[in-house]
Amino acid sequence: MQDGAQHAASSAPDGAPVGVRARFPGLARRLPWLVLALLAAFPLIAPAFGLEYYVGFVRRVLIVAIAATSLNFILGYGGMAALGHAGFIGVGAYTVVALVEAGHSSAWLAWGGAAAVAGLAAAAIGAVSLRTRGVYFIMITLAFAQMLYYLAVSLRTYGGDDGYGLYTPLEMGAGLDGVHPQVFYWVVLAIAALVFALFSRVAHSRYGHALRGIRDNETRMVALGYPVYGLKLAGFVVAGAVAGLAGGLLASHNAFVSPSLMHWTQSALLLVMVMLGGAGRRWGAPLGVALWLTLEEVLKLHTDYWHWPLGLLLLLVVFHAPQGVAALFERRAGREAAR
Amino acid sequence: MSLFRAEGLVKRFGGLLATDHVELAVEAGEIHALIGPNGAGKSTLVNLISGLLPADAGRIVLDGVELTRLAPHQRSRHGLARCFQITSVFRNDSVRDNLMLAVQAHAGSSFRCLARRDAEQALQQRAEALARRTGLAEVLERNAGTLPHGVQKRLDVALALASRPKLLLLDEPMAGMGPEDSVQMVALIRSLASEAGILLIEHDMDAVFELADRISVLVYGRVLTSGDAAHVKGHPEVQAVYLGTEAGA
Ligand SMILES: Nc1ncnc2c1ncn2[C@@H]1O[C@H](COP(=O)(O)OP(=O)(O)O)[C@@H](O)[C@H]1O
Ligand SMILES: [Mg+2]
Repeated sequence: MQDGAQHAASSAPDGAPVGVRARFPGLARRLPWLVLALLAAFPLIAPAFGLEYYVGFVRRVLIVAIAATSLNFILGYGGMAALGHAGFIGVGAYTVVALVEAGHSSAWLAWGGAAAVAGLAAAAIGAVSLRTRGVYFIMITLAFAQMLYYLAVSLRTYGGDDGYGLYTPLEMGAGLDGVHPQVFYWVVLAIAALVFALFSRVAHSRYGHALRGIRDNETRMVALGYPVYGLKLAGFVVAGAVAGLAGGLLASHNAFVSPSLMHWTQSALLLVMVMLGGAGRRWGAPLGVALWLTLEEVLKLHTDYWHWPLGLLLLLVVFHAPQGVAALFERRAGREAAR
Repeated sequence: MSLFRAEGLVKRFGGLLATDHVELAVEAGEIHALIGPNGAGKSTLVNLISGLLPADAGRIVLDGVELTRLAPHQRSRHGLARCFQITSVFRNDSVRDNLMLAVQAHAGSSFRCLARRDAEQALQQRAEALARRTGLAEVLERNAGTLPHGVQKRLDVALALASRPKLLLLDEPMAGMGPEDSVQMVALIRSLASEAGILLIEHDMDAVFELADRISVLVYGRVLTSGDAAHVKGHPEVQAVYLGTEAGA
């Protein structure tokens, strides 16, 4: 019994916390729905606690979590340490700007376009970058993202360095606009939930297994007959498209787009959040994003030197939970279940 | 016509001629052993044939199909499979997951991304059949990295078998094994010869003489001689270069 629980807790690094499952059968299955219900109810109950301001904050967490989930897919499952993911967020955001500037006002066209254009950019960048490995891959993805950054800086029509304000909100149609001040929040939540559910599902598919095989032993996968390059490129394109979607949503969220969205420090931050939460773990990306952004928000209230405690936290995680917070949670749950 | 032919294979590492115009053939159902001292270029040859290293010159033909310019995964689709001198399995996965991954590679598309793979009964059955055949049925749920060396080696061979290859390249499958595991491996290799040609690289001379239909001797990247066990044992240069040093050691 003891052995079984220990083994179970360690043998499913990407699934829901197995220890929890052993202790409360059904809870692990219901946990995502519980989280979803709480998040859905939040805009309705927030005013009662004077937390209206935080509805916007949670919306930002959700959008960043979408981008982080896509990065976790290629980094954690695919072993591709891309240091240019914010570039695709930027491509998505600027696609929205370009469509608005051209006179379009449909939100779905803008966000869909953001995903499509970012996916195309990822196809081009990935086709070149994925011919390299290790440090070279990190550097080349960084270089491409910096090119996109300077491209945005040079685009005078879209404000260059100063950025571009989106003064009228995009129209979602279908009677959604103006029904409730927080409609956009729920739309973001629905998209985030869908993205999370899809990636969770893909992780257990043939493709998901193949991707992890490539991460763990690429040479063997090649020898086994897998078209490794094509498989990686497909993952890279999908991740880029989803990051672009997040960029499109972020443009609407901020009602403003500037090149700083895709500065390389943003890419690095995204990597840090994924690793903090737990790369290659189902809950890694949302956990990391929620933890990091919440701490940043809280610390900013109390001190101008909020970078220091955050850095300290990062060190702590590196030494005590190198697999990320999600892993720590799984391990603790496993130990308790074994008692 | 031979099942497999390598013609004029050349590989240079800087100034080192690691593969020196190698000619090699394997017939269907044949176990062709390749022996030679360390550093002779045996593993390099396997890498050239499997495509993990590009050859500088030469041709490779398997079952009438020229593989020379194909990527390694395409060569695998045409019936080539290999195991590795340094055991190469998925250490953090169970034996079952290892076999599933190998079986999946040659049974439909791996771009399928919504259906749950482990629910595919056909794949599970093939993985289990492979496990029974290679003596891994008892350790199906064990993590590959926790298994004894000899069992991991067997898993390495099992992964190569999943594609039902026409030609199997075995790079020192018995290296570092105890006598018991060796006996099991010899039996396994013998049972494979009925369905695939085998190029066997091995230092264990007892195993080689027991298994091989033909033996080629590689020295400094060159094929010194080729023939049956009696021929190789009696070859004066071979005795000097290889068997002599073995006997003296
Ligand atoms: N990737 C490589 N780069 C440079 N030299 C190599 C490489 N691989 C092998 N060699 C050299 O080629 C020669 C043959 O090596 P190898 O094929 O591993 O021999 P064997 O398998 O017969 O022991 C050795 O001298 C080795 O040092
Ligand atoms: Mg070798």
